Amino acid sequence: MNIDLKTLTIQKAHEALKKGEYSSVQLTQAYLDEIKKRNPTINAYLEVFADVLDQAKKADQKIQEARNNNQDFPLLCGIPCGVKDNILIQGHIASAASKILENYHATYDATVIAKLKAEGAVFLGRLNMDEFAMGGSTENSAFGPTKNPHDESRVAGGSSGGSAAAVAMQGALFTLGSDTGGSIRQPASFCGVVGLKPTYGAVSRYGVMAMGSSLDQIGPVTNTVADAEIVFNAIKGKDIKDGTTIDEKTYDTNTRIHTNATNKKPVIGVPRDFLKGDGIDPAVLAAFNESIESFKKIGYEIKDISLPNISYSLMVYYVLMPAEVSSNMARFDGVKYGLHKDGANVIEDYFETRRAGFGREVIRRILLGTYVLSSGYYDAYYNRANAVRQMITNDFLKAFESVDLIATPTAPSPAFKMGEKTADPVAMYLEDIFTVTANLTGLPAISIPCGEVEKESKKLPIGLQLTARHGDEKALFKAGKDFLNEK
Amino acid sequence: MITPAELEKLATLARIKLTDADKSSLVKEFDSILNYVDQLKKVDVSLDTEGRVGAVKNVTRPDEVHSTSPADREGLLNEAPDREGDFIAVKKMIEQ
Repeated sequence: MNIDLKTLTIQKAHEALKKGEYSSVQLTQAYLDEIKKRNPTINAYLEVFADVLDQAKKADQKIQEARNNNQDFPLLCGIPCGVKDNILIQGHIASAASKILENYHATYDATVIAKLKAEGAVFLGRLNMDEFAMGGSTENSAFGPTKNPHDESRVAGGSSGGSAAAVAMQGALFTLGSDTGGSIRQPASFCGVVGLKPTYGAVSRYGVMAMGSSLDQIGPVTNTVADAEIVFNAIKGKDIKDGTTIDEKTYDTNTRIHTNATNKKPVIGVPRDFLKGDGIDPAVLAAFNESIESFKKIGYEIKDISLPNISYSLMVYYVLMPAEVSSNMARFDGVKYGLHKDGANVIEDYFETRRAGFGREVIRRILLGTYVLSSGYYDAYYNRANAVRQMITNDFLKAFESVDLIATPTAPSPAFKMGEKTADPVAMYLEDIFTVTANLTGLPAISIPCGEVEKESKKLPIGLQLTARHGDEKALFKAGKDFLNEK
Repeated sequence: MITPAELEKLATLARIKLTDADKSSLVKEFDSILNYVDQLKKVDVSLDTEGRVGAVKNVTRPDEVHSTSPADREGLLNEAPDREGDFIAVKKMIEQ
């Protein structure tokens, strides 16, 4: 059985399964073969599940039943996928790539997992990440970094580096990641795949380990925009177990990009002032400008826009995110679950357990968050950052009065070298400069491949980021498909 | 800028043991991060300081048990580092 995984999409696989060209077992085996070949060097998967082929057999039974009854079956039935290690799958380890949860078994399914199981998706395994999703390169994993499939001397990006690398190495047809400040989109950009951060509240976070609760979203990493749309539609929706979830009616998205008014072109806003800073790789800027020209050619109008407070986004993020991290990480105490290290008494147990279980970046962010929330600094940092966050959001909402989408590069550079930024936390944080705004504002954003640059005779992918109005993922899918010439 | 003593206090609040080597590298890293975020002090903030994301509001629900089966409870208890019967065991808190 020879399946061309490189050009495979969910729709194509679904049609093939429907026609009986191959079974889910055969499709799953093809992915397992690729994982076996490439994972020992790439380290995208922390674990490949032992029951993968059993899951595929069950999917094949469902498919057979549907065919016998002349019925269709769910699009994701029999489709092999991978899951970031901070999303719970009942009975499996969920470590968040941390020593503190190395032996922790999930006791229930995350809502997104329950939804995918209901469709009959096949779970290949757990994907590597920066510990508790804190990082931009997957070098902060307690279980070794993930390498970039396009150049193994470079990082896959992060924190969902395993999720992006797995799709890029044909190690899954789609994967799930989580995005707090760019953790789906930046690795997608580095690995040449599509990554979606949905609107805040669009996808339930029940069963995903919280990092920054006002920022976190789960989203898909895929080969195509159409695939991202399929996965998003499967996992989205209101959930009683996550009070922040929204429904279709929360936002009005009946905007002109979706009506076929012939005299009105969809408008893409470009925050030109924000693209003038140093620190943006010339190849990234060139690919971005070319992409904008392409959009003009396919009937989009381009408009320069001003987002006056956008240059403060990253500073706001690096106050609010650690503040939320310090609260969310308090639950790891060596008492209820996870690692336990003995000290002289109960209190000493906490100190020993957290010291032994957390990596450097996690400790740094907990302490930073404790600092900005402490008495005397709270107003200067946390409250001020919250106010500026609202100002940034207002800037975006104002811009969306005259544009349908906003375009920027996804990341300021292509994938960087392993170890290049580990010594300087601020250099690593600057990776998030274009992506954090979507998390601060709650707006949906997608990274799509838009070009490549040759460095040391390796071709490195470059990503384009599109941001849309709240609740308007459809606009991202439409423009993304137009741009990549997908049907 | 932050002192090792202040850092020690934060670590105590956050229940994390730090070595002297940790402290000296963290002092430097804090300096560079705080230098960066300190630019926020230049912003002319005229808004109230209550942060919100999109249309999300506070959500409440009745205080009712939804889905805890004995099997769920057993699974949760089994993840505890130490258990006694249906309880999670910890060291003695109060001397007799």
